[in-house]
Amino acid sequence: MSSTEHDKAGDGHHDHGDDGGGHGGHGHGSPWIQHHYDDAQHQFDSGKLGIWFFLVQEILFFAGLFVAYIVYRHHHPEIFAYASHYLDVKWGAINTGVLIVSSLSAAWAVRCAQLAQRRGLIACLVITIVCAFGFLGIKFIEYSHKIHEGILFGGRFDPCVASGGDHLLNKANRCPGVTSSVVWDVKAKKATKGCLDAETGYDWDAGAKGIQGKCQVAEVKMGGRGASRAEVGRRTIEACAAPSAGDGHAEMAGHDTPAHNTPCWSLVVNPHVCPKGPAAMVHYGDHTKRTDIEIEATCEAAPAPVAPADAFAGTVDRPGRGDANFKAPQVQSKHDAIHEWSNGPPPEHTNMFFSIYFAMTGLHGLHVLFGIFVFIWLLVRAIKGHFTPDYFGPIDYAALYWHLVDLIWIFLFPLLYLIH
Amino acid sequence: MSASLDNTKSYLEVNPGWRNWVVTLDHKRIGMMYLCGILAALMLGGFFALLVRTELFSPGAQIVHQDWYNKFFTLHGAVMVFLVIIPGIPAALGNMVLPIQLGAPDVAFPRLNLASFYLWCGGATLLLLSVALGGIDTGWTFYTPYSIETQTAVLPAVSGAFLLGFSSIFTGLNFLVTIHKFRPASMGWFQMPLNLWALYATALMQVLATPVLGITLLLLFVERFMQIGIFDPTLGGDPVLFQHFFWFYSHPAVYIMIVPAMGVVSEILTTFSRKPIFGYRFIAYSSIALALFSFLVWGHHLFVSGQSRLANMVFSALTFSVGIPAAIKVFNWTATLYKGDIRLETPMLYVLSFLILFTIGGLTGIFLAVLSIDVHLHDTYFVVAHFHYVMMGSTLVAFLGGLHYWWPKLSGRMYPETIGKVCAWGVFIGFNLTFLPQFVMGSRGMPRRYWDYDPEYTLYHRLSTIGAFILGMSMFTVVCYLAWSLKRGKKATQNPWGGSTLEWVAPTPPTVFNFPEPPPEVELYEYDDLHEVENANQDGVTNWERRPAANKPARSSHH
Ligand code: HEM
Ligand SMILES: [Cu+2]
Repeated sequence: MSSTEHDKAGDGHHDHGDDGGGHGGHGHGSPWIQHHYDDAQHQFDSGKLGIWFFLVQEILFFAGLFVAYIVYRHHHPEIFAYASHYLDVKWGAINTGVLIVSSLSAAWAVRCAQLAQRRGLIACLVITIVCAFGFLGIKFIEYSHKIHEGILFGGRFDPCVASGGDHLLNKANRCPGVTSSVVWDVKAKKATKGCLDAETGYDWDAGAKGIQGKCQVAEVKMGGRGASRAEVGRRTIEACAAPSAGDGHAEMAGHDTPAHNTPCWSLVVNPHVCPKGPAAMVHYGDHTKRTDIEIEATCEAAPAPVAPADAFAGTVDRPGRGDANFKAPQVQSKHDAIHEWSNGPPPEHTNMFFSIYFAMTGLHGLHVLFGIFVFIWLLVRAIKGHFTPDYFGPIDYAALYWHLVDLIWIFLFPLLYLIH
Repeated sequence: MSASLDNTKSYLEVNPGWRNWVVTLDHKRIGMMYLCGILAALMLGGFFALLVRTELFSPGAQIVHQDWYNKFFTLHGAVMVFLVIIPGIPAALGNMVLPIQLGAPDVAFPRLNLASFYLWCGGATLLLLSVALGGIDTGWTFYTPYSIETQTAVLPAVSGAFLLGFSSIFTGLNFLVTIHKFRPASMGWFQMPLNLWALYATALMQVLATPVLGITLLLLFVERFMQIGIFDPTLGGDPVLFQHFFWFYSHPAVYIMIVPAMGVVSEILTTFSRKPIFGYRFIAYSSIALALFSFLVWGHHLFVSGQSRLANMVFSALTFSVGIPAAIKVFNWTATLYKGDIRLETPMLYVLSFLILFTIGGLTGIFLAVLSIDVHLHDTYFVVAHFHYVMMGSTLVAFLGGLHYWWPKLSGRMYPETIGKVCAWGVFIGFNLTFLPQFVMGSRGMPRRYWDYDPEYTLYHRLSTIGAFILGMSMFTVVCYLAWSLKRGKKATQNPWGGSTLEWVAPTPPTVFNFPEPPPEVELYEYDDLHEVENANQDGVTNWERRPAANKPARSSHH
């Protein structure tokens, strides 16, 4: 750095701008003052203005993603309401705290540099770096969970949702822990295999009304690959022990109630998967990815237990989806909201939420990573004792950058994690 | 690199050799390197343009079929826009001139400046890589969803454009800080040469608009790389959002191209009219106004993309209003010429061409902003002609003017004047021959980006192709004689044109830190006491010297 062309004597220098002259000489105190500046103050001010413009461009860089967020949320609020449940508020909140602490330590580092407190400066930089690593570590936990579950973006969205709320149906029937008899075709947006086909005439919310069904479920073990893939063995799978028979939500309770006799099947009733009736979903109770098995199921709906009151009320003609006067069910609580959606594939284009989630948090994470490199570089320089009350610009600029990174997260956290 | 540089010597003499050039932090050297790269890219883009025009000489296949034709016009557009016109004036000419016009030793961040240059090189390399990998056929606009589906080399081209964007952002940032912090105490905002106002407005747009292109291209990159889906309709994404993002950048980008050209024109025009610029403040403010307005009109590129009717009307009205600051400038320039002592040297020929071509280009832009008309003209050759009148006819012509104007100062050599004038005429005639027929055929329905056409358009296409070759030859000659003049040209004097700004006070070529002595205050755009001295050096080149006119009435500064 000190061997740049500009570190030499005798250029045609003159006084600039606001400092009103008086620094005509070139006895720059610190070796870090570049020669084309009048003095330390001139260099500091220029750098500060530069970093502000840089932050402005950063904001505009992120603005594209925020606009995309607004557009998609405006068009598809249901996706955002649904999908944000798959983000863990706890981790998000911890990360917010972590970043705020690191912002504080970054600001404190500036103060230490100004006061020539070298040890304090080093300590603050170390805290900032540790927090930044902590942030990325937590992001790593969140990301790897999502990768594991197939909750990814755009075309990579291949999630698992089990009845009960935490797992999504796998479109290709390959959920770790749960396997259903339904094959969901993402392109066609309907189930292509495994739905009950008979004209049973169930309402779309039959599950909520306590529709029961009976399935013959077999686990088929497959061997070989590609064209030579073939059955090598099979076994029958029993129904899961229902926690309370007759309870309308029994079929949905697979998640809440550990199925002790795993593997076992439970009934799924979901209009999005099987518009005409229930299907079976197999619970394995662990998170192993099973690629060597397929589930075969034939389900038969048992007639709905008719509540006595209904028997006198006669048939209510309920409009179905697509009818002009169809009304979506009233969602009372968060719990209901989860139940409303969690029994099948997510609302159309849920992948877009995760596209935005990964784009925003990914880009933000890259900024954190870049910040780590910068702070390590500053730490090395601080240890070498480069910074003085006359020359601490880089710390100031890095801290400003870091505050912006922090601020962006403070927007991202509620926008992504706290949607209701 | 040596630890000390001799500021009494020319920047070309100190530390010669390419090894010193490639790590230089000197803004003039960096500008020169940009210039070489940009001229090389100009020839490459011109080569693709001539391939396109050759193919269109007659209906049916001439030299290639559709798929190659699509690649030719895409590469032509991408190279010209991202490698040539956007960096042309700011990064090459601006870099060389801006600090000198301020009387500063360098830009605020010399290392960032060099980094911008290498980002440009990286972007250029990636664009070339996409050529090597079989080209790209999306058009320079990279519209989704086609750019997601096509099998051509989109990834390298998009990442190249991404890097070029950041090169542009950092140049802008550097210029903003330099103008804020390196003005001498004696130079207030309204004592700045108009070129600096223009570069300031440009830099604002570079810093505010280009990041949006950055994120858009990044998303497109991730889209192709791992299907993020934001712009992919089959995954639930919105391809029109891409168009909005793209034009949110690319409309300001057209002002990133034109506004610095206007700065160059203002400088040359007053020098060669020997008259103070008319309406200094209007020209200065209108640069800033253009920069601000440019952010509000991107929707005029989406009139037929399913934008709401209300949005269409608002964008149409806002687009009309952009005509106001543009027209203010044209009127002021014309008024500057009025009763001026006009000298028709090469730079001035380019500037007069600019005035004519920009007027045509700007007015046809107003036609296109009319909703009912745009429905017919959108995606026809009329649009092609419109934007070539502004991008090539205005920006590139001003760039050539500025190049000739500052060439003696920066290279220390004069270009050959006669052949320079011939080429300026060649550019003007060739340009009009190429693009006037395109207005006609576009208004008669010839769609753009078509490889084949109905025989009734043959005449227009032929004229256009002939014009393109005249234009190409003239510009190629310019590049050749400039290169020739580096060694053989006459030695330039300190002030061969009689310019009034600070760069004409600096030595020719400038010293390492531009001025061996602190520069004096100059009277901006005052020509009364500048006197022409013929045969001022051994090569017989004219010089203009500043000495008080014998009977000069005491006159206060005009601002
Ligand atoms: C005087 C002000 C201007 C107005 C009112 C104006 C208006 C327009 C309009 C309405 C369009 C859309 C036409 C369509 O696609 O249907 C357009 C296209 C275009 N304009 Fe302008 N324009 C102006 C100046 C400029 C300048 C100064 C430049 C460049 C230096 C420029 C470059 C372009 C380009 C590149 C396109 C089309 C790009 C494409 O579709 O590939 N315009 N202009
Ligand atoms: Cu536009």
